[in-house]
Amino acid sequence: MAMMATPAERLPDETLLAGLGAGDAELSVAFVRRFQGLVFGVALNVLRDRNVAEDVAQQAFERAWKHAQMFDGRQGTVRGWLTRITHNLAIDVLRGRSSAPMDPDDLALLITSMADSPERIAVANDSAAGLRRELRRLPPEQARAVAMAGIYGMTARQVAEAEGVPVGTAKTRIRYGLQKLRAALLPEDADDE
Amino acid sequence: MSELDGMDDMSCDEFAEVAAELALGVLTGRERARALAHLDGCESCREQVRELSMAGDELLALLPPAEPPAGFESRVLDRLGLTAPGQQPSDAAIQQGSDVSGQQSLDVRVLTDERANRRADRQNRPPNRPVDRPPAGRPRSGLSRVSRRLLAAAAVAVALIGGGVGWGLRDATAPSSSSSQAAALSTAAFVTSDHRTVGQVFVYNHSPWWTYMSVNMEGVGNVTVICQLEDADGHFKNVGQFQLDDGYGSWGSSPYTAGPGAIMGARLLSSNGTVLATATF
Repeated sequence: MAMMATPAERLPDETLLAGLGAGDAELSVAFVRRFQGLVFGVALNVLRDRNVAEDVAQQAFERAWKHAQMFDGRQGTVRGWLTRITHNLAIDVLRGRSSAPMDPDDLALLITSMADSPERIAVANDSAAGLRRELRRLPPEQARAVAMAGIYGMTARQVAEAEGVPVGTAKTRIRYGLQKLRAALLPEDADDE
Repeated sequence: MSELDGMDDMSCDEFAEVAAELALGVLTGRERARALAHLDGCESCREQVRELSMAGDELLALLPPAEPPAGFESRVLDRLGLTAPGQQPSDAAIQQGSDVSGQQSLDVRVLTDERANRRADRQNRPPNRPVDRPPAGRPRSGLSRVSRRLLAAAAVAVALIGGGVGWGLRDATAPSSSSSQAAALSTAAFVTSDHRTVGQVFVYNHSPWWTYMSVNMEGVGNVTVICQLEDADGHFKNVGQFQLDDGYGSWGSSPYTAGPGAIMGARLLSSNGTVLATATF
């Protein structure tokens, strides 16, 4: 077999994913190395248990391998696709567990880390920077509601119970919070509909 | 017609109140059913949900990464039946040793038995097992027009950079020729009569023959669809049926020892025989 002209580590995400789907060992290794921090991070942040998070992260890579041929680059990035796979798996596990109530301090720390992580700011694209800025601006109760729903997969009723507010209030917080984040991602002249 | 019969219609204003929850995948029960029914006929609300879903995805992208436990990489590769190529520099996974030590380097064109088994599992995934689902309202991956040539394009890309590294949903018993394996795999998009791409079908035309398809037809609800393949004579033959869950589903046939011959196309029918979508190879 001819040697690769380009080191696998330098290949585009899509090519590594194609290699993973094909069962190419070298490209698969490169794929796992490139994304293991992302995948494990998503699982760990959702599940808050390293052992369970590892199992979910492994499942995520297995699922990516199984469904690599279904990836469509026009619909998003490999990173986003893999994040969604991992998150879906983590939420499924989370919903199947009777886990301890969420620690409000943990939630606050997570939101802060998402909004302020300096090393991510350094490499952030414009949309991520805008989203992070908007996350810092959100009223804390809206940021918590969006995080509980968007990251932990909690329904409005569960958010209401966790926050000690009526369901309608929880729904409103989720709605307003996400709408503001969405507006931060839109071009400035498209904020209003 | 569906479980929504008898439900009152949701207005756009009502929908706006739950759009965020729908986009984040946390809307449940009757509210979810009504919202989805509304989406079926409201393009502007679909766009609203799509944008909110993107915001939800971007939010997830802000989650901080985390260093996985030692040996994670090797355990993933082991799970896939792979091992790092011998020419790879040592890394944390290899240094762990326990999962890969003692294993000889693989020629990447040869599948291990374990991979063959997993491949068979992939080909035999149970009906209606959903592929990972992006949020409601957002087009799901794998359903584009261009993706009918995804595998072939990727094969070219991998071959160009890899000096002939094989590509394709290869079968363990198939010949080792990469090109013949890639050529044996055909894929085409399922398209409706109004030219919407609603799915994708893969057919592997070497023994053991198999097919796999993924369908996304939002709005049709939970229905059973019948898959037919078209032979060279223009005859359609039923090859299986599967259940759509909220318009979405995937299905793979069992491998056959003898294939049905050249496959020219495929189509999906409702249980009453109405053609829902067609695909041409």
